[in-house]
Amino acid sequence: MSNRDTYNTAFTETFMIETKDLPGLKYQDISAWDSVGHMALMAALEEAFGIEMDIDDIIEFSGYEAGQAILTKYNIAIEPAV
Amino acid sequence: MKPVPDLPVTLRVGGRLSDITRQPLPPYAPEATAFLAALSKQLLALPEARQFPDIAAFAYWCRPASLARLQREFGAAHARLGRGLALHIAPANVPVNFAFSFAFGVLAGNANIVRIPDAGHPQVDVICDRIAALFDDPAHRRIAAMNRLIRYPRSDSITATLSQLCQARLIWGGDETVSRLRALPVHPRCVDIAFADRYSFCVLDSQAVLGASDTVLAALVKGFYDDVFLLDQNACSSPHLVLWHGTGQAEAAQGRFWSAMTDYLEKNYDLAPVHAVDKFVHLCATAIALPQARATRRHDNFVYRVRLDSLPADIERHRGRNGFFYEHAVDDLSCLGEIVEERYQTLTTFGIDRATLVQSIIAQGLSGIDRVVPVGKALDIGVIWDGYDLIGELSRIVHTA
Repeated sequence: MSNRDTYNTAFTETFMIETKDLPGLKYQDISAWDSVGHMALMAALEEAFGIEMDIDDIIEFSGYEAGQAILTKYNIAIEPAV
Repeated sequence: MKPVPDLPVTLRVGGRLSDITRQPLPPYAPEATAFLAALSKQLLALPEARQFPDIAAFAYWCRPASLARLQREFGAAHARLGRGLALHIAPANVPVNFAFSFAFGVLAGNANIVRIPDAGHPQVDVICDRIAALFDDPAHRRIAAMNRLIRYPRSDSITATLSQLCQARLIWGGDETVSRLRALPVHPRCVDIAFADRYSFCVLDSQAVLGASDTVLAALVKGFYDDVFLLDQNACSSPHLVLWHGTGQAEAAQGRFWSAMTDYLEKNYDLAPVHAVDKFVHLCATAIALPQARATRRHDNFVYRVRLDSLPADIERHRGRNGFFYEHAVDDLSCLGEIVEERYQTLTTFGIDRATLVQSIIAQGLSGIDRVVPVGKALDIGVIWDGYDLIGELSRIVHTA
């Protein structure tokens, strides 16, 4: 699985949404991505990529695109969307 | 080893008491972390996690990345093993603390018998149901064999029987419970971790509050709300006293902070009428009992503030609930030495350098204050709590020279 697939799956499985809904998605845009959903998403990403995210990065993880930039700090490059 | 008898208790999670496996594991054993990681994942996926933020907070705390960090911080200076059987008398005031207490015992490598609070908090059953489901999974057979979650009405005879069998007791519930259970004969090697009644307070820097951007102020207000109103000041780490650092700007800073706080409460807090009445009654009692009480401000029925012109040494006896605060302004935080005694647990801060404050607590040799954390973190329980390194206390060192 590509990093993008792994990244997308964390969102789609945590929030029960489809991949096509992901571009532009921001924190609190949908009811599933509330503060509790955020915790579940962070836990899912940490598990999927085998990383431990810093609290500042967890706070700044404000959207689907912003999250990709944050993950580069952990040497995880999300491939461009095809 | 003396067998564990089958006592007249309700077995909420796990098999018979007499079948419990007491052979310990080392701290942070793979069986323990795998179990808690699975529990974390299940709880975070539950719809109830949205309804009960405290369940979500517990689940988030025991996610794999967080456990890995704790394990690293715990270190490997000594070879260690769990002490054996740990008895947990969980508190009734904070619904999810039984789960934290249980998790501390599991992480330390112990077998655990946890007396959970009676029904009344739905969170308890939500978590117990998930633990029970995981215990049925053969992957968690070892943890299932080592742990029991039970209920029984307050009974010194049951607690006494268990106390003679266990190598550690975690006694929550305050002074009265602690002294009652301390009177019982215990296993000679038993270690008690006793959580006495504690008092917590908050220091806000006047200038920092006035200079904060609207976003920072909003985060401060939300953090203060979480510390105080999620459990209506019933947790011993919730602040009851707000000290303002910087007398010159204190009044302006108070105006800004409390008006933002009141706005937030209007939107987010469901004030029970009885709590409004309780606060008024408590205000009357305070006016009679506390000569230092100089003035009072009320923000609708949400917040009562009582200004103190000096800090009484026994301020902790006058604590209010549901949004009742004492306030005092100071220019020099070294005055803490005059009021802080062993009862003081958590100090939450905003705009104050915490490392300097901790240094000053050490330098002054204060008998209280175990935690100095940012506003918003008062209720964040963890493996270091109440001045104890819980995993260290709950495990023993196997030393070699």
